[in-house]
Amino acid sequence: MKVPFDLYQEGIEFFLQEAELIDDGKFREWLELMTEDFTYRIPVRVTREKAAPTEFSDLASHMDETKNTMEMRVIRAYSEYNWAEDPVSRTRHFLTNFRATMDENAENVIQYKTNFLLYRGKFDLPTFQFLSGERHDTIRRVDGQWKISKRLILLDHATIPMNNLAIFI
Amino acid sequence: MCQEFKSPLSKRARAMLEDFQASLEQGISKIGVLNDEEIHQAELERVFGRNWNFLAHESEIPNKNDYVLRSIGDDTFIVNRGSDGEIRVLLDVCPHRGASICRAAKGSSSHFQCPYHGWTFKNNGDLVGTPSFKDAYSGLDRKEWGLTQAPRVEIFHGFVFATLDENCPDLKESLAGMGWYLDMIFSLQDEGMEVLGEPQRFIIKANWKIAAENFSGDDYHLMTLHKSTYDIGVMQIPLRENMKGYHIQAGNGHGISFSIDLESKDPLFFYYPEEIVKTFNLENLSEKQLELARGSRVCVGNIFPNISFLMLPLSPDPKNVPPTPLFTWRVWQPKGKDEIEVWNWFMMYKNTSEEFKRASYRAAMASFGIAGTFELDDAIPWETITRNAKGTFAKKNMKLNLQMGMEGMGTAKQVMEWPFPGIAYYPRYEEGNQRHLYRHYLKEMLSEE
Repeated sequence: MKVPFDLYQEGIEFFLQEAELIDDGKFREWLELMTEDFTYRIPVRVTREKAAPTEFSDLASHMDETKNTMEMRVIRAYSEYNWAEDPVSRTRHFLTNFRATMDENAENVIQYKTNFLLYRGKFDLPTFQFLSGERHDTIRRVDGQWKISKRLILLDHATIPMNNLAIFI
Repeated sequence: MCQEFKSPLSKRARAMLEDFQASLEQGISKIGVLNDEEIHQAELERVFGRNWNFLAHESEIPNKNDYVLRSIGDDTFIVNRGSDGEIRVLLDVCPHRGASICRAAKGSSSHFQCPYHGWTFKNNGDLVGTPSFKDAYSGLDRKEWGLTQAPRVEIFHGFVFATLDENCPDLKESLAGMGWYLDMIFSLQDEGMEVLGEPQRFIIKANWKIAAENFSGDDYHLMTLHKSTYDIGVMQIPLRENMKGYHIQAGNGHGISFSIDLESKDPLFFYYPEEIVKTFNLENLSEKQLELARGSRVCVGNIFPNISFLMLPLSPDPKNVPPTPLFTWRVWQPKGKDEIEVWNWFMMYKNTSEEFKRASYRAAMASFGIAGTFELDDAIPWETITRNAKGTFAKKNMKLNLQMGMEGMGTAKQVMEWPFPGIAYYPRYEEGNQRHLYRHYLKEMLSEE
């Protein structure tokens, strides 16, 4: 059903704050925004014939994470040996085209489809990279706090123009 | 290839390569070859144009008419299973005016039609349609204008290879000692391996030789570059213990490295769980292959020039999931002097449960691949090496050290009575595999045959 405007706005505010935590490198605080059953998946995209129902692989992924594995990645990110992010990438999330739906019987759960553009620059290099795509997020209210329970990232890239995904989308 | 079309090596490129060759046996490599346009152009002909290239695994095209689009160097090929069931490698170039005829990376089609003038080909390559044939082409012998096929194709345990050089020795002969080790891995199960989904593809701004060198036998980098994987528990074979094992120069530039415990009372088999080991048909292995497989913990290698693989047990979630054996197989496709496209497949033995395949996939994706906790870090030095190799001063003056394990360097010694193919050293504090890769590379590059 259509999400009431106030709720819709609350969700957008939540995602903007969440993106700020990522872009500011506050990953531990970011983890706190995940429900215990959180999942995060980036399926591999394959250029298919026009008749194919989807370009997204149901088998292959770039990432397929739980809260536990995200915690592991965050611990790694702050460790002395995170060469992948030393110096750290400068990321900037641009979130737009928020589309929300919810189930009549579940007023504490909202699904969003969001377009994103993620800038990544690093070191003193004048070059930079963008990732573009759509996020399918589910947020759930837990003890009065909105948390993300599911993030599916549908990239606009079949070949990813980056050397790693040591950043978060 | 028409001999007159083969580019001669420029005086400059030849001098660079000969300079490298002159220092290699002292364990000195030259950074300049890692980012140079002339060298890159010569490699496309002399290395990628002459050797066996991996294109696809049979399991990616299981049904008649299935195809995938793949590359050798800078040429694009349709790898398909024809309506007759036969696997072919067809150049994706319409013989009429040169346009591409395939518009997807994967699909199923009995025919391919060029969008330019509509020439249409059966998936065995035959030209079957030329619009307005009577008015336009009534004298044309269609039989002469089919798609161009890769000169030779061979299938090895389901892995489809092609070479652009008709005179290339057979795949088995080209693989030299490496064939024996690959036979050991792929024959463990009667059913062999299959891909687990489509390959990951991503771009590293690095020269392909750096990646090939790394997988040939660079175990030394684990203790610094990959230290985080020990700290978070992804890798659970202790560092020093893991250096116990062998580097094997397997011939023709191929290198393979085993972390091994030949004294282990229990069979190790890369730590495959018992229910998987039960599916192995050990009769497929010779006595010696079995001896090696029993003691193996980790195996990593590079098939010359740019095909790398790795089998080892890793944990995707150390708190909850035990280390799970995984297999990654990748091609470092050269996209230029300073860029590779990584094609990264995860595979597993076909006759294992869906549950185990998923577990193995998770372990593989979590550690190797674009977001793998191992692989996240690899591209960092690879890219700076490549950038540094362009430096005018560095290119002319830098010598790099490739001396580990040479006489008087460290503890590695050649194993004199090595019972398996190739030349082996123990332990893995050793860079003979990398020298072996470059020795063969330089021979290929400087050959005027």
